[in-house]
Amino acid sequence: MIHLRGVFKQFDGKRKVTALEGVNLSIESGEMVSIIGPSGSGKSTLLNLIGGLDRPTEGEIEIDGSLLAKLDDDGLTRVRRDKIGFIFQFFNLLPTLTCLENVSLPLHLRGWPRKKIEERAKELLSLVQLGARMDHLPDELSGGERQRVAIARALSVYPPILLADEPTGNLDTSTGVEILRLIRDLHERLGATVLIVTHDLAVADSCRRTIHIRDGHVFQDVRR
Amino acid sequence: MILLRLISWPYARKHLLRTLLTTAGIVLGVAVFVGMHTANQSVLAAFHQTIDRIAGQTQLQISAGEPGFEESVLEKVQNVAEVRAASPVIEATVQTDRGNLLILGVDMLGDRSLRTYDLEGDASIDDPLVFLAQPDSLLVSQNLGVKLNARIPMRTMEGERTFVVRGIMKPGGLASAFGGNLAIMDIYAAQKIFGRGRRFDRIDVALQDGVSLDQGIAKLRAAVGPGFQVEPPSSRGEQFEATSRIYALASNITSVFALFIGMFIIYNTFAIAVTQRRSEIGILRALGATRGQIRTLFLTESAISGLIGTLAGVVFGIVMARAMAGYIGGLLEEVYGVAQTADSIQVEPWLIATAIVMGVVTSLIAAVIPARAAAYVDPVKALQKGRYQSLGEGENRMRRRWAMACVVAAALALVLNRYTPIFYAGYVLAVLAAVLMAPAASLWLARALRPVLAKLRPVEGTLAADSLIQGPRRTSGTVAALMLSLALVISLGGLARSSYNSIAEWMRIALNPDLFVTTAESVTARSFVFPASLGDGLRKIDGIDEVQLVRSVRVLVKNTPVMVVATDVASLGRRGRLPAVEGSTEEMYREAAAGRGLIASENFARLHGARVGEVLEIPAPEGVVKLPVVGIVRDFSDQQGSLVMARDVFVKYWHDDSVNVFRIYLKPGANGASVRQKILEAYGNQQRLFVLTNADLRNYVIRVTDQWFGLTYVQIAVAVLVAVLGIVNALTVSITDRRREIGVLRAVGGMRQQIRHTVWMEASAIGAIGLVLGFALGAVQLYYSVEIARRDLIGIDIGYAYPLSTALVLAPVILAAAFFAAIAPGESAVRGSLVEALEYE
Repeated sequence: MIHLRGVFKQFDGKRKVTALEGVNLSIESGEMVSIIGPSGSGKSTLLNLIGGLDRPTEGEIEIDGSLLAKLDDDGLTRVRRDKIGFIFQFFNLLPTLTCLENVSLPLHLRGWPRKKIEERAKELLSLVQLGARMDHLPDELSGGERQRVAIARALSVYPPILLADEPTGNLDTSTGVEILRLIRDLHERLGATVLIVTHDLAVADSCRRTIHIRDGHVFQDVRR
Repeated sequence: MILLRLISWPYARKHLLRTLLTTAGIVLGVAVFVGMHTANQSVLAAFHQTIDRIAGQTQLQISAGEPGFEESVLEKVQNVAEVRAASPVIEATVQTDRGNLLILGVDMLGDRSLRTYDLEGDASIDDPLVFLAQPDSLLVSQNLGVKLNARIPMRTMEGERTFVVRGIMKPGGLASAFGGNLAIMDIYAAQKIFGRGRRFDRIDVALQDGVSLDQGIAKLRAAVGPGFQVEPPSSRGEQFEATSRIYALASNITSVFALFIGMFIIYNTFAIAVTQRRSEIGILRALGATRGQIRTLFLTESAISGLIGTLAGVVFGIVMARAMAGYIGGLLEEVYGVAQTADSIQVEPWLIATAIVMGVVTSLIAAVIPARAAAYVDPVKALQKGRYQSLGEGENRMRRRWAMACVVAAALALVLNRYTPIFYAGYVLAVLAAVLMAPAASLWLARALRPVLAKLRPVEGTLAADSLIQGPRRTSGTVAALMLSLALVISLGGLARSSYNSIAEWMRIALNPDLFVTTAESVTARSFVFPASLGDGLRKIDGIDEVQLVRSVRVLVKNTPVMVVATDVASLGRRGRLPAVEGSTEEMYREAAAGRGLIASENFARLHGARVGEVLEIPAPEGVVKLPVVGIVRDFSDQQGSLVMARDVFVKYWHDDSVNVFRIYLKPGANGASVRQKILEAYGNQQRLFVLTNADLRNYVIRVTDQWFGLTYVQIAVAVLVAVLGIVNALTVSITDRRREIGVLRAVGGMRQQIRHTVWMEASAIGAIGLVLGFALGAVQLYYSVEIARRDLIGIDIGYAYPLSTALVLAPVILAAAFFAAIAPGESAVRGSLVEALEYE
């Protein structure tokens, strides 16, 4: 499902910073993988490259059969919207849109008919147990509820890949556990490939596979 | 100071484009102010300089308005013991291939005691008698670039004449008057050339040593009588300033409006900066910065950006002034018949100082509210990631209350609007109410637009509308600026439309002769005059039914130069009867025709507070004419107002039977072109003469009106430009402010085109909201503009006519401008790094 071959990522600035150095990685369909490592090790960069948010300096990334390097910006966007769902640490919900509208957003971008969008958005919000909060604005929700809305939005087209960057990082412990349970539940029910970047070893241990990144290299790849 | 260097400077450098756009409003406002005033001042200064240079040692000038007076007055003046030297003058401008030429007719025998003629080489002027003996002699300034003994042809009232240059004046002093486009000839030759008969325009006087000006004036007034003006030469400059007053006032209004609009752009930018920099402010507050320090920081930033904008505006304004001085000179000549061009730009230090104060103060006022908001940022909330602090709820409520208070006060002022200060206060309050209501009104309109935009494009439309709803601070200043700009455009458009309508109606009635025989292609030029006898000749031409003799001259009435139109009033009443605005039409023409009264124009009555029945005193060489105003008509002949007088009265009091224009009515069935040809054949070779058809004259009037409204187009251009800058500014700010939001949109599958559409729709929505509010405020502004024009500018009630056609043109122009303004911000929204955008805080 996800293949990285000799991926390098360098950031140009006053001095060059190498975030990833020759990463080779394969993640099969339906796996739930955690990526851990200290701050600045390159784990978020890895997730951004897999999600098509950024391009590698060198190397090849293949997502569900598509070589990202060969795609232009619109092609990359199509991969993102059809194959990938993102869950961010700070939720990144649009503050002016209701929960229902936030979840509908990616579907509107795909040009789905309104009725179908509404049905799907309601279905997803029910799936994350927020059926009663559809017309609320993000500001009116707790942190955990906001993250649920973000998860529902990530699932809008039931993408084959779900990428989560510190999904519990901005939540208290019990809410974090609850969100992780939800992600795992969705992974099992929907069969999506899930990649979670985390600092939290408990979160990492809950996944069958953990990739350890250090100084831009895959330092350890543990399967349980 | 340290905060400025550490906090403000890096921010300004990072947002360079926005910083530049912020100052653009001030740059334009100051540039218009400095440009218009410098150009105006330069033309006025050139006029004063011409007067000074021509005056030489002249201390007093004796005149009786444009018609001048008979030669016999000279003797009276010369007999006054206090007079050392008295020299008669005829002064006229003629159009030549090289532009306008000022011709000074002087008496060479006496004039050299007043003026110095510094000539090149060996010229015959050394013996004035030789110069006099040759009536074709001409002295010219070196600047004209002609050689000694060169022959210069000229169309005179005695036909085509050739003049010989018999002396060339060295540059400086007299020779530099009128930009050096000066020629001197013998006064008796000038009388013939310009058809003045045995008349002088004025007498220049130098007093005996030890005689004060006041003494001189008293003695000379006693000698010549009350019908003459005895004044120092500088008074002529004051009269010129009076005639160009309307123009100066109109240019002031544009500058103030541009600055006012610029103020909203600055307000907008600073309001956004406070929102964006709240975490920075939070950190500063947490580190111990006081509210006063934060407020001072923002106010200092604003003052510095205002100062930079002002300085750029001053430079830009001076550049603009160079281009505009020529235009203003041309306008003054066409509209007022006073030719003057500025050969250099006069930059007044007080003007620069005023501009700097205006620019900096405007900038500071604009930043007061944002600076206050910055001072009240809560450090706890500001430092929480992802947490937004609503900064303006209470402020909005307060603003709405003030707006309602202003509306009520403005309505009260309307009831009491006959008192001028109350009327103007009402106007200011009405604009203030609109400005205060703008944020709330934009929010309502954005909410109303949301379903419409969502229908057009569900995601992009919703996001665009939400952006406006979410960030009223981000756009309210821009919407207010746009609203003010459009209101200005609507009011100017409305004024122009009403003026053209009124002028067209006036032309239909008053300018109905078939042909006009004039001494120049421009009917406002009054240097040359015809003898009255030409009228008898014209009457004999086959096909001509009636000839009206018109002598229009500017004379002092109520201490202001006013146009007196002396004509056959009975014929005028029969042929082109203007309805009385006040008084009885029938009686008005009857009384005026009998020489028992004057018909005043509406603008004269309003600007000079005259009423029917009031007896006006008009100084004339033969004494003071005392006649009552017998009626008031809507007449556009002159911007300072006009008085129609029976020709007999004029001839009697001024001893002048010359004519400026013959108005000719043809017999039924007569062919205009063939009659025109006959006139030219009969008289065209004998004297300077032009025959204009009715269409020619109407086109001329329309052209002059267009030229006058040329200023309006500059105002419109400035207003629209500032508005567009405002939109660009708001969008640039909006994109920066929503970087993360746009990043999310792209991350979840938004195509570049969809993001662009969102930005474009937001811009169009700002444009649409600005249009609605601008059109609404424009309706109010137009009412006040028509009132101001009636009360204080042109004195004519031109009527209220909303310029729908202007509005129809403006709508697509503003929407298109908004769209183009959105292109660059739209591109910046889709080009940035997605990862950075998602991490942006």
